[in-house]
Amino acid sequence: MAGTAVLGRLTWLAATVAATNEETPRVHTLTLDVAGWGCHRAGQHLDVRLTAEDGYQAERSYSIASAPGDPLAITVERLEDGEVSPYLVDDVAEGDVFEVRGPIGGYFVWDGDEPEPVLLVAGGSGVVPLMAMARHRAQVGSTAPMRLLYSSRTWDDVIYRDELATLGIDVVHTLTRQQPPGWSGYTRRIDDELLREVAFSAADGPRVYVCGSTRFVDAAADGLVRLGYDPRSIRTERFGATG
Amino acid sequence: MTVEERVLDGNAAGGLLLELFGVDLTAAPCMCGGCGAREEVARLDVYVDCPGVVIRCRHCRNVMITIVRGPERTWIDLRGTSMMEF
Amino acid sequence: MPIISRGFRGRRQEGPPDRVPPGQYLTDDFPVLSAGPTPHTSLEEWTFTIEGGAEPVSWSWEELQALPREEVTVDIHCVTKWSKLDTAWEGVSVDTLLDAVEHDKEYALAYSDGGYTTNLPIEDLTDGKAWVAYRYGGEPLEAEHGGPARLLVPHLYFWKSAKWVRGLQLLDEDEPGFWEQNGYHLYGDPWREQRYWGD
Repeated sequence: MAGTAVLGRLTWLAATVAATNEETPRVHTLTLDVAGWGCHRAGQHLDVRLTAEDGYQAERSYSIASAPGDPLAITVERLEDGEVSPYLVDDVAEGDVFEVRGPIGGYFVWDGDEPEPVLLVAGGSGVVPLMAMARHRAQVGSTAPMRLLYSSRTWDDVIYRDELATLGIDVVHTLTRQQPPGWSGYTRRIDDELLREVAFSAADGPRVYVCGSTRFVDAAADGLVRLGYDPRSIRTERFGATG
Repeated sequence: MTVEERVLDGNAAGGLLLELFGVDLTAAPCMCGGCGAREEVARLDVYVDCPGVVIRCRHCRNVMITIVRGPERTWIDLRGTSMMEF
Repeated sequence: MPIISRGFRGRRQEGPPDRVPPGQYLTDDFPVLSAGPTPHTSLEEWTFTIEGGAEPVSWSWEELQALPREEVTVDIHCVTKWSKLDTAWEGVSVDTLLDAVEHDKEYALAYSDGGYTTNLPIEDLTDGKAWVAYRYGGEPLEAEHGGPARLLVPHLYFWKSAKWVRGLQLLDEDEPGFWEQNGYHLYGDPWREQRYWGD
């Protein structure tokens, strides 16, 4: 009986909000101060646990946005009927405390010492762990070619919009719902033809990381396999629908 | 959103498995007791919208792992997994 | 002792204690809880079977539709803590189905497309306590919510109301189904908060 309770005390750590930053009206980045936090790898996530005064608890997972060398930060999108994300985006202030568990993930990670080209495919807030990878690449000075294919609804929904242009990676946006005047980029959901135009050639032996909703991830991964990519070179992370 | 759209992958169970096993299992290969397929936990289908966590083989849909957390006890059923390597 | 987060409440609604069992919260939507992919069985193939009696008895979809239909409005309580009041269903009373079977058994194991099972005493399936329901809210029951037909046993936690139900096996002894094998209570009375083994 005491077993799982003891392990729980070892895994959940207190996280204090050191800063909040608005990326888009619905998406905020929280920089966290966590005593006892080790290091993390680009692509990993952490779990957040909120406890109400009457003991009610809710837990959600959020990808770590920061590169391993930078202060720990998560980026959270407020979901319409969410239970945790509205709290983290709308209510939380500097100094607030909640619990975190992690870092978690040994599969959807990129450490920066791999030389192969890296294709990142992001659907909406799926860009968060991929941003950690792009930031990490810049920090460690990796010369592995990296390209991000990023699907968003509108230009205003693009997270990290300005910073993405400064990281020394190719960024290809597709805006699926609405485009700004003069937009000459892609305007549709990712399909085989778009992938063929944007992705590295399979012959280059690229690694792929795809993150977004389940539907987005499965469609992109299947499309890349049809392009000749080795399925084992494609790493995926499906984001939850609940928030 | 349909069930098909809400199904996640082993990354989503990573924190829970870390807490229960003390090890990050997301990259741990598992063999399905139903069809013999060998995949990392991150490549399994994970259902979290139910009274527990149910992890299924992506190839044959066999239930590989079921985890139920009560207030004081946890139940883990690994019958559908013939091997985990970590 | 977990850390309390300032101002966090979650999205819960409390409800009247005579309608909402202990530990439950009210919801207005109808959450879809599933442990696996949604089965899709055509009505042409669909049958409901009761086995374990003198001989198996089966109904096709048309035969089920021809049986007396009841409309019931009931409160439902999920072990994951949400309760929904005044849900409207239509279906065939399990009494009607069991009346067609000669048996001397005390327990049942309901089984569904997709492999789900759940166990109940036959006593909890009779005397107007249970239905094979195929309409919800005035519409045919959607696949996501268990359609074409699900078991409806509102006086127990809703995991007992097996979605995609295809039959009952009548047994001499209580045999734990899917969740009951994994820590959930064999009986599951929400008013006695029987969620887990030993509760």
